[in-house]
Amino acid sequence: MSRISSVEQVDVVIVGAGAAGGVIADRAVAAGKQVLLLEAGPARGMSDLVSSQIWARKLKWSGPVVEEQGDEKVGHSFNSGWGTGGSAMHHYAVWPRLHAGDFDVASRHGVGLDWPLAYEELRPYYDKAQSDVGISGDAAREVWRPPGDKYPMPPLPVFAQGNVIGKGFEAMGLATSPIPLAVNSIEYKGRASCLYDGWCDAGCPIGALANPLATYLGWALAAGAQIKNRAWVTRVLHDKSGSRATGVEYADETGERHQVMADTVVLAAFTVQTSRLLLASSSSAHPNGLSNRNDLVGRYLMTHPAVSVYGMFEDETQPHLGATGGQLLCQENYDDKKSDDGGYGSYQWLIANAVKPNDLLGISTTRPDIYGAALDPFMKKAAKHFGNMVCIGEGIASANNRVTLSSNKDAYGEPLASTVHNVAKSSAIMREGALAQGKAVFKAGGANEVWSGPPGSIHIMGGTVMGKSAADSVTDEFGRCHELENLYIAGPGLFPSSGAVNPTFTLHALALRTAEHLFTS
Amino acid sequence: MTEDESATTSSRRQFLRNSGLVLSFTFGAKTLLLTPSEARAKNLPLKILAPAEAATLSAVAEGLVPGARTAGVVHYIDHQLAASQEDSLLMLQYLGVPHAGFSGFYQAALAGAAVAAKTRFNAEWVDLNDTQIKEMIDLFNGPDPEGWTGPPSGFFSFVLRADACDVVYGTESGFDSLDIPYMAHIQPATEW
Repeated sequence: MSRISSVEQVDVVIVGAGAAGGVIADRAVAAGKQVLLLEAGPARGMSDLVSSQIWARKLKWSGPVVEEQGDEKVGHSFNSGWGTGGSAMHHYAVWPRLHAGDFDVASRHGVGLDWPLAYEELRPYYDKAQSDVGISGDAAREVWRPPGDKYPMPPLPVFAQGNVIGKGFEAMGLATSPIPLAVNSIEYKGRASCLYDGWCDAGCPIGALANPLATYLGWALAAGAQIKNRAWVTRVLHDKSGSRATGVEYADETGERHQVMADTVVLAAFTVQTSRLLLASSSSAHPNGLSNRNDLVGRYLMTHPAVSVYGMFEDETQPHLGATGGQLLCQENYDDKKSDDGGYGSYQWLIANAVKPNDLLGISTTRPDIYGAALDPFMKKAAKHFGNMVCIGEGIASANNRVTLSSNKDAYGEPLASTVHNVAKSSAIMREGALAQGKAVFKAGGANEVWSGPPGSIHIMGGTVMGKSAADSVTDEFGRCHELENLYIAGPGLFPSSGAVNPTFTLHALALRTAEHLFTS
Repeated sequence: MTEDESATTSSRRQFLRNSGLVLSFTFGAKTLLLTPSEARAKNLPLKILAPAEAATLSAVAEGLVPGARTAGVVHYIDHQLAASQEDSLLMLQYLGVPHAGFSGFYQAALAGAAVAAKTRFNAEWVDLNDTQIKEMIDLFNGPDPEGWTGPPSGFFSFVLRADACDVVYGTESGFDSLDIPYMAHIQPATEW
């Protein structure tokens, strides 16, 4: 066992200073608890959020490598964050709600897993997060929207790209609405309004976008929560019986080990690392890892199968304007999850995303086949006439998609995370159908060239799923591990199904529900 | 510092900010803040890449993204290969390649590219004409060309093209060249 350099005691220790950890921290401090957040990455403030797609890479994962296998790898490096604020520092703030039908897919369709709660039970927490953080949108035009409070801010404006592509949807008889964004269209609770300059991916330093520093995490830190950066948590500690967590052990940047003892331990280290940490914390009481008696930790790893459609339009589109998340939303037929061709899954279109010339999602990368003398003319034309949208599809929870421990070790001698993720055939069929629809929309909108990106995965969910019993899940409906009464999980790792909507709003709602359970009862 | 000196320094900083991609180059005991293009113009020594590797890299990158050579793509990539994982800005950061393998990725691919050019045209990349360079890049985008070693040639081509696009189009001057307003909240600072 490594020598322990220091031991401290707090009420609540939270592993991971991202969106979910920030919510728990804020509510815990409000309840008078002494809170410590342990963050693996560096300290980061709003002034670090430089407007550059090149600079933006510093916000992405720079920790120990995650080994990836499968026909659609989870893309951990691109999807995860690094440093204060975590992954949500670079999220696009697209905040639609899951639909009621996303919560019982196993019962209704015989696919994946059911949630241990229904939409109506989560709705008050969606509403609270929406009110706390602020969402811009037009609920009336979201004809598919589940019941919920009206948005507190009007929608962001629609620019030329949205108008042009919107005509294509209209021509196809498909409704669109302004996209619900946790981005301020007007000043909201002292936070500035958006300037529509499309730098969301690089982090929004003016606080118009609801990154954790601008919202719950920032509020928690201002109210007295403490944070330790460069703290790589190596294991969760527990008592002799194995029924209560007692704290965590972490390595600082010099490699020295420390312990933080706490009444409540919350793991909010994002999907893959939370699973890895449970597995790496094996002991005589929990030989297969914590809360893993039934070999469920790490399983049901999910992504959203996605694909982008691109086009060149006759009209000028001003593709640099707006928010990276998009301008319009289409969730037509979202609740019809099964198609006649064997496809399964809901999907939505995020329409008219603001784009930059470079980077993985930039204009240049949409046509890697264009190079040499042809490249600059393409770039100059695209700068004026480019349009794009992305399909977010529903993933299916499969026990075979999972996080395990690698035999390879990180710099601290701890096992790396290893992931395998394959896309279900029915999901691939769903995505192919969506892609055909998307291309037809662009043609109907007047695009004279239409192309698509490769199919891929975005967002990472599951691995520590919630459920009704230890036989089918790692935690209960509040994120409490079945086998350790004061060990909680927060974040998208809890999702038993993915739906086809961006996960950040839902993880906020879940974390608020967990916090209420923890600190109000 | 005099007022004039201060104004000069301020003007220099403004220039560097506007350039959008400024790196801290160590040269002897000095640390210079330069754009990759300036580092190239000053012929600053490279940290990782050998001269032959640099020559191949320059030719392939220019073939993929015209303007990459004068934008300093070689100094940019060499600088980034010497950076820590957390400071690296290369596209490889996003693509699941372990940081410890970044230099090996480039060096193995550049060796493969050199051998492939020798096999195809019995020539170094620097001696290939535009048509031959296009033919080589077309080959990269299919199955690995004869003599290729290292990562898949198509993947290397994708990665290098993206890095070269960063240098050519991802800066404020690159945006200007496309008539796209940069509209920064916070300008890229003096050091990466």
